[in-house]
Amino acid sequence: MRKMAALLIALMVLVMALPMTGIAEGAIDTSEHVKIVYLVTGDKPTNRTDEVLAKINELLTEKINAELEFRWIEWTDWQTQYNLALATQSGDIDLIGTATDWLDAWPNSQKGAFLPLSEDMLKTYAPKTWESVSEAHWELCKYNGEIYLMPEDNYAQWTNHGFMYRGDWAREAGLENGVHSWADLGVYFQYIKDNKDGVIPWDANGNGSSYSPQMAGGWQASHTGNIAIEGFPVSIFYGNSKDDPYTLSRYYLEGDELINFAKEMKKWADAGFWRADVLNYTGDVAAEMEEGQTGAHQHHTQTWTGERTTMERKQPGSDLGFFWFGEEANNLIALNITHGAMAVAAQSKHPERALMVYDLMRNDPEIYHLMQYGFEGEMYTVDENGLFSRPEGFEDGTDGVSFNFWWGRNDGLEYRNAELDWDAIQKLYETYDSVKIDYPYGQYIYDNSMVGVFMDNLSNVYNTYMPRIVFGMNDDPEAIVAEFRQALQDAGIETVMAEVQSQMDAVYKK
Amino acid sequence: MWFFACSSEQNHVQGVDSLAKSKKASSVVTYRRPSLGKVLWQNKTLILMCLPAIVFFFVFSYMPMPGAYIAFTNFQYNKGIFDSPFVGLRNFQFLFQSGQLTLLLRNTVLYNLAFIILGNVLQLFFAIMLNEVQAKTYKKVSQSVMFLPYFISDVLVALLVYNLLNYDYGFISHLVRSLGGEMPKVYQNANAWPFIIVLVNLWKSTGYGTVVYFAAITGMDSSMMEAAQIDGANAWQRIRYITLPTLKPTVIILFLFAIGGILKGNFGLFYNLVGNNSMLFKTTDIIETYVYRSMMNSFNFSQSSAVGLFQSVVGFFIVLGANAFVKHLDPDYALF
Amino acid sequence: MSQSQHVMHTTKIRKDPTQITMNVITYVLVTIFCICCILPFWMIIASSFSTEEAIRRSGFTLWPTDVSTYSYYLLFRSPDQMIGAYIVTISLAAIGTAIGLFIISMTGYALQRRDFPFRNGIMFYIYFTSLFSAGLVPFYLLMVQTLNLRDNYLAILLPLLMSPWLIVLMKNFVKAIPHEITESGKIDGAGDFKIFYALILPSLKPALATIGLFLALSYWNEWYYSSLFLTTKVEYRPLQFHLYNVINKVASLKNSVAGSNVVITDLPGETLKMATAVVATGPIILLYPFVQKYFVAGLTVGAVKG
Repeated sequence: MRKMAALLIALMVLVMALPMTGIAEGAIDTSEHVKIVYLVTGDKPTNRTDEVLAKINELLTEKINAELEFRWIEWTDWQTQYNLALATQSGDIDLIGTATDWLDAWPNSQKGAFLPLSEDMLKTYAPKTWESVSEAHWELCKYNGEIYLMPEDNYAQWTNHGFMYRGDWAREAGLENGVHSWADLGVYFQYIKDNKDGVIPWDANGNGSSYSPQMAGGWQASHTGNIAIEGFPVSIFYGNSKDDPYTLSRYYLEGDELINFAKEMKKWADAGFWRADVLNYTGDVAAEMEEGQTGAHQHHTQTWTGERTTMERKQPGSDLGFFWFGEEANNLIALNITHGAMAVAAQSKHPERALMVYDLMRNDPEIYHLMQYGFEGEMYTVDENGLFSRPEGFEDGTDGVSFNFWWGRNDGLEYRNAELDWDAIQKLYETYDSVKIDYPYGQYIYDNSMVGVFMDNLSNVYNTYMPRIVFGMNDDPEAIVAEFRQALQDAGIETVMAEVQSQMDAVYKK
Repeated sequence: MWFFACSSEQNHVQGVDSLAKSKKASSVVTYRRPSLGKVLWQNKTLILMCLPAIVFFFVFSYMPMPGAYIAFTNFQYNKGIFDSPFVGLRNFQFLFQSGQLTLLLRNTVLYNLAFIILGNVLQLFFAIMLNEVQAKTYKKVSQSVMFLPYFISDVLVALLVYNLLNYDYGFISHLVRSLGGEMPKVYQNANAWPFIIVLVNLWKSTGYGTVVYFAAITGMDSSMMEAAQIDGANAWQRIRYITLPTLKPTVIILFLFAIGGILKGNFGLFYNLVGNNSMLFKTTDIIETYVYRSMMNSFNFSQSSAVGLFQSVVGFFIVLGANAFVKHLDPDYALF
Repeated sequence: MSQSQHVMHTTKIRKDPTQITMNVITYVLVTIFCICCILPFWMIIASSFSTEEAIRRSGFTLWPTDVSTYSYYLLFRSPDQMIGAYIVTISLAAIGTAIGLFIISMTGYALQRRDFPFRNGIMFYIYFTSLFSAGLVPFYLLMVQTLNLRDNYLAILLPLLMSPWLIVLMKNFVKAIPHEITESGKIDGAGDFKIFYALILPSLKPALATIGLFLALSYWNEWYYSSLFLTTKVEYRPLQFHLYNVINKVASLKNSVAGSNVVITDLPGETLKMATAVVATGPIILLYPFVQKYFVAGLTVGAVKG
């Protein structure tokens, strides 16, 4: 935490100092008024975003003679829509919100969707951003030696997964300190099953595909030192451990831990910790938890920070806790800095001005606060501790502002939400900070061109078997793991592993 | 086909041709073929009448078609389709190397055949039966009601089915248990799903399909029906000898049309009903769902185009075959 | 028809026993099928008026439990959006159906003319497009870059105007009209278009009703092209797309990593889905009786033709 505070202060100083040392006025020709189109995922807001945008555009016009326009990629079918917009761009978009983990930033860089950003460009047109991102971090934004992304590297957030559980029920179950391991979780679930009538311990909506990598990877993090490598279409690529990160783990191919996982989940399934037809259930687990119909929700830390407050309101005394995957083994990787990043569109007609706009969005306090919180006084107030609160009766859906700016949030300018339970959050974050290691694979970008065909088949094999292992939907856990491993072999896992290993060696074992 | 074009006198021959189809061979008279320009001029009005459709399909279907080249490239966004590197058949590989192709083809084709055959039988049945019903209000109301499921989205259909069949809280589970029975775990039994999926499909599409046959019956020459009634034909005989033969061309056309899409599955229906419940894949996995699962984490326009192209090419040859067969039996029924 | 030879002359013209058996079978089967169709729909309506809590666990019910109109409130929260969506959809459907119907019937007639030498060629040209499509990216580029139709309602109106399937269907319906009508028109000295317009079109009523219905339905249910070509810049978007957004937003967020950035609060998932189904179906189902009129009318006047 101290490190972060130091960073924060350093940044504040920087931000304050920069306007004076900034590039000389007149060096950049801004005589032409341009419109910068910002491609962003999210539904078009029905709140006061447009009003705020108008104000921001006034400021932008004044400062750099440009204005910002949204191009929303709505959540309906967003993956297709987003990739289609990138693939068919013709100068109609300038700034693109992206991410290496959930918006395929690297494959899109490889496919030529983004403009490579030279150091000169960044220094000239996005000087504050250039300064605030360390050289080491810029290194992580390079593909083939060129910078493609501007990372959100100064924003503390944790999106590591785990289980939210009710502290009150955990204590009733005899877990005085709460749930801190998969074994505890089993005890907790069993207690609910036996004592809370009509409550399903974890009413998972197994219809979604996201549980497979989270659960399987969660067990793996808790029982091995393996470290997940991002950017693969299938979540079976892990490094051995923090001491030997650049050798691929063979966890999914051999060894007993996966079998143990399958056996345990089979036990849980048979004990009725989730419904029998979990794989086709599409319900809303979080809402059920809020209504006291289920005892757990599997998601990440960031969700927990908000959910804890909600639960306290809806189930007073519930004391929502968070068991994070990897807790038993102290196996925790800090969020990759490119979990959110901004890129410039390859076909942008005004890349310089786009960079200038981004530099202001990210670093100009007035614009940043407007974007993130709206009009001060009217839409929010900040107290002496730097906590912000909304006025009485404030509805985000109608009164708020949504820029969905997840590509350059800046702790130097953020206010904390007064509603959240910062004591509890702080405590967890401190634990995290004491055990975390930095993401070790920032410089490795998987190249799909050699083994893409095999990868697609592996993806299918994984999505076929993993849900059945995760939810214990099988007769014989050992047999299904063996079958899964055989199918991986048949789909060419060894070829792919060899290729990935050699790609990795090329980066890290020079 | 050219001999239809000879001269206007021959139109008469063609007009009564339906009575003398068997004499087709002898009607191929060896007229001298007129020049193309003349033929075009003679048919200018008919050509003009087709022109809007020709232009329409040219613009919306043929103009983008060269872009299907994307299936043979490693599509680079900043280069465009035609400047992207050519990779030959690489985008087609994953389907063939999957080891699943036989299963996928089997499932896709069998489901489609079941949908086509059972669907048409049911639609024909309802159209004919309702046509015999005298009570007008009943006829109208039942038709409207049969249309309702068509409007229920696949998401909702899946939810309905889940609510009926799920083991823990399902409507049918409740019913079975209250009667003292033991509910089978439907969502873990692959063998149940071909029936469920076919039933759901029939339930959804019958109302829509019946309308086609209804219209065809309506357009039928009712003088024949009256004559038959006077002759004392009973209801069954009227259907057997008048209604059904009248509907035959419609049935054949619908069949020919559907057969072209024999490899194309209804993704929405299957994906929503089955989802990622791999215990059911053996009997429910179709090409679309497989492709979706393989590529959901790696977006690849080239590959999805390749799959589409593969489905089209196979469908195309099947249709060519089926059409030639129908043409051989009776050229009047052929699609083209 | 020579089949009359097979007919037994012992039965009365009206009310023969087979007719009665058949009617009984029809009533029984049709009624069962109708119940299967109406019951789920009824449950959807009932559930749409329930609270989310009530149906979350117990699922669908025959009567609303804990009556709530919250999901309708959510749908109609911005009524101008809803009304706009209805107006857009109805206008598109009306214009598109009228134009489409005209072109389809004209083409269908021409292609059914036995004396039209290019009919098979043109038919193949049209049918071929139902088998092969260029795929998403080329089509998107055509619409957005070549035709410049982004954020233009024409991007919805035009691609749905006709389909090979509807033209084939129309061609098939035209086939039932005796060729003698065309012949008699020719003898009267009428041109091909005049024959089509004055003689053929009036006897095509059931076909026009059917294909018109299908066209209208395709406009009514359209959301795909809207999702591709109408960005959020367009104020009012077609109804189904509007509704599709409402229900899919929740679903697509819940199961995706994108959810890490978005907080979804208090969206009634299931009941909202039900309400959208009701809202989307209601108006179009009222259209159906008008269409039916032509089926019945055709039957009684049918004998006049030819």
